[in-house]
Amino acid sequence: MEPSAFDELAFFRALDDSAARALLIGRRALVLLGLPVLTAVYDFWIAIDDIEAFNGVGARFGLHPTRTPDEARRSGRYAVENDEHVDVLVARSVPTVDGEAVEFETLWDRRTVVQVDGSRVCLPCLDDLILTKRIGARPKDLEDIRLLRILRDAR
Amino acid sequence: MTREAIDRTLQRTVTSEELRHALHAPVARQEREEVLALVRWFTARYPAPEDRLAYVRQAYARWRTHMAHR
Repeated sequence: MEPSAFDELAFFRALDDSAARALLIGRRALVLLGLPVLTAVYDFWIAIDDIEAFNGVGARFGLHPTRTPDEARRSGRYAVENDEHVDVLVARSVPTVDGEAVEFETLWDRRTVVQVDGSRVCLPCLDDLILTKRIGARPKDLEDIRLLRILRDAR
Repeated sequence: MTREAIDRTLQRTVTSEELRHALHAPVARQEREEVLALVRWFTARYPAPEDRLAYVRQAYARWRTHMAHR
């Protein structure tokens, strides 16, 4: 099976050109940092005021939101999808499973920028990426935490 | 094991103890060296971030094809 026709570089370019403050989290962030891990989806954490701007970018790629902006603000999560699936976290603050509050604005202020084919892709810094892994805290997140620790300690 | 049971296992929330271990347990030298060797290979073979993303999309597609034919 070939990858779908989704043009991820054009998507990142459009996101960079938009006003949406969006942090790439999840395993694709690890890939950009040099860790070859498999993933099916894209994960973003976006500013709560930027849902419409983010959805506008998604719409240009045929990605449809699973919730209205108001519903997304209330639930804190939604997705935009077609044959691609983009999970979106949209809360101002989310607790980790061990009770630490993680705030979007703090992560945004400390973000790292990676140049991808001439576009800026924003990621949480390494310590904050580890923090985001404590939100979902599934078994694969623990694997990712160890990989990120090794990467961080080697830098 | 059924598909549902596998999904439950993969999607479960880990315990506090498991999380603490992942965050703080010492990483063995062999594990560290293996991971860093993998990073060296990946970033040397695909120095551009966009090529790393493309590699993962292709690798995932290959994995899906393999799983579909099992």
